[in-house]
Amino acid sequence: MRFDVVVVGSGPAGSVTARFAAQAGAKVLMIERRAEVGVPVLCGEGISQKVDNFKVLEGNRWKASKMDGARIFSPNGTMITLSAEYAGSETGYVLYRDIFDQELAQGAVRSGAKLMVNTGAVDLLKKNGKITGVKAQRFDETMEIEADIVVGADGVESRIGRWAGIKTTLKPYDLETCAQYTLTNVDWPSPYCDFFLGKNIAPGGYVWVFPKSKDVANVGIGILSNMSESGKALQLLDAFIAKYPELSKGSPVRLLAGADPVAEPIESVRDHLLLVGDAARHVDPITGGGLMTAIEGGKIAGEVIGKAVEKQQFDQQTLSEYETRWKEAFGRKLHRNYVAKEILLGMEDKTLDMLADSLKDYKFEEFSTLSIIKALVSKHPSLLVKLTPLMKLART
Amino acid sequence: MAKPKAFVRKERCLACGGCISVCPQDAILMVTSKAEINKDHCNSCSICVKTCPIGAIIWEGL
Repeated sequence: MRFDVVVVGSGPAGSVTARFAAQAGAKVLMIERRAEVGVPVLCGEGISQKVDNFKVLEGNRWKASKMDGARIFSPNGTMITLSAEYAGSETGYVLYRDIFDQELAQGAVRSGAKLMVNTGAVDLLKKNGKITGVKAQRFDETMEIEADIVVGADGVESRIGRWAGIKTTLKPYDLETCAQYTLTNVDWPSPYCDFFLGKNIAPGGYVWVFPKSKDVANVGIGILSNMSESGKALQLLDAFIAKYPELSKGSPVRLLAGADPVAEPIESVRDHLLLVGDAARHVDPITGGGLMTAIEGGKIAGEVIGKAVEKQQFDQQTLSEYETRWKEAFGRKLHRNYVAKEILLGMEDKTLDMLADSLKDYKFEEFSTLSIIKALVSKHPSLLVKLTPLMKLART
Repeated sequence: MAKPKAFVRKERCLACGGCISVCPQDAILMVTSKAEINKDHCNSCSICVKTCPIGAIIWEGL
């Protein structure tokens, strides 16, 4: 088999890359290890309304609900409300993630890409050290798929990057380990995505409650792997739900596990090779959200691939336009939020409570650095020292 | 006595891939939607055991 491009993985990053590469005229094959695109779901199912700008989804089946913003609960339960305008870049729609992924994959196929399910990459093909495609397995059949460009869209556990010699192993402090339920018959009529912080609630992460419909919610937890013990994420999630009769009156219709890289992005381009989405660690280290960056980065990757195929140039230098452009689009933000993640991880629960207490009546509509500082200092002057590193970061 | 090796209880594994992403020995693979540990490569570091959100990885023999 021979293609211009083989994309390994049909999640959002893979499908959007395949779509834009195919639209630009490249002959694209996408392979998916699983038997069904998008199943099992491996994510919290929240995405920014910015996704509408990319016009990669048809209809409304993928949308469970549209949210008015976010509420953040500090360890002692103090609530901060962020209106959609300011939380909008992180929350917006709650998804049916399986349908969402399938819509994106269908978009790629309608643009001319081929898709094979039940087909997993088992190695890179190389000739004289040069990447020439992937070796894949489908049931008992092993096949060689030759391609000028291999795209690793193979998620948090990316093998493609590793086979190409890129250091992909995550440190435990750079991984959120997650568990989540879809609970039905709950009583949580919130128009907001809710986030709960605290060392005893979710060490190094948070619990989320995302309402999907009148009495259905996605309730999940992410904790930092270096603060985890065997099965701890699920135990803490069960403990959280047990505290809220509004949730514990319901029953799960789905239990899922997840793994979310909250790392700095890694090298994303080699000769004949690109990494996109979670495989490239394109995830916001503060929120753990990676859907928007997967789509944004995938679009850039597809466009750059289109040009490379047209010019028949597949070297690292040609493909590095992808890296330059994703760094411009969101690289700085990911780096800044990685540093911010480390600062936030160093904060005691007490500090988070003080922060929340200062901001609980704050009107985020009047969002400005100066007015936030005023709100903080007037109530808890000692916060100023603790927040200095974050303030400095905000100015970079 | 040899150190115990990490072992995936397949009936529990939900295929999130977290263990694979943090294994410093590259000893774990996804085989038909379940994680599988190559015992010969496992150095008993316990990172995967602690990382698994649902407790699907245990020490073999324990």
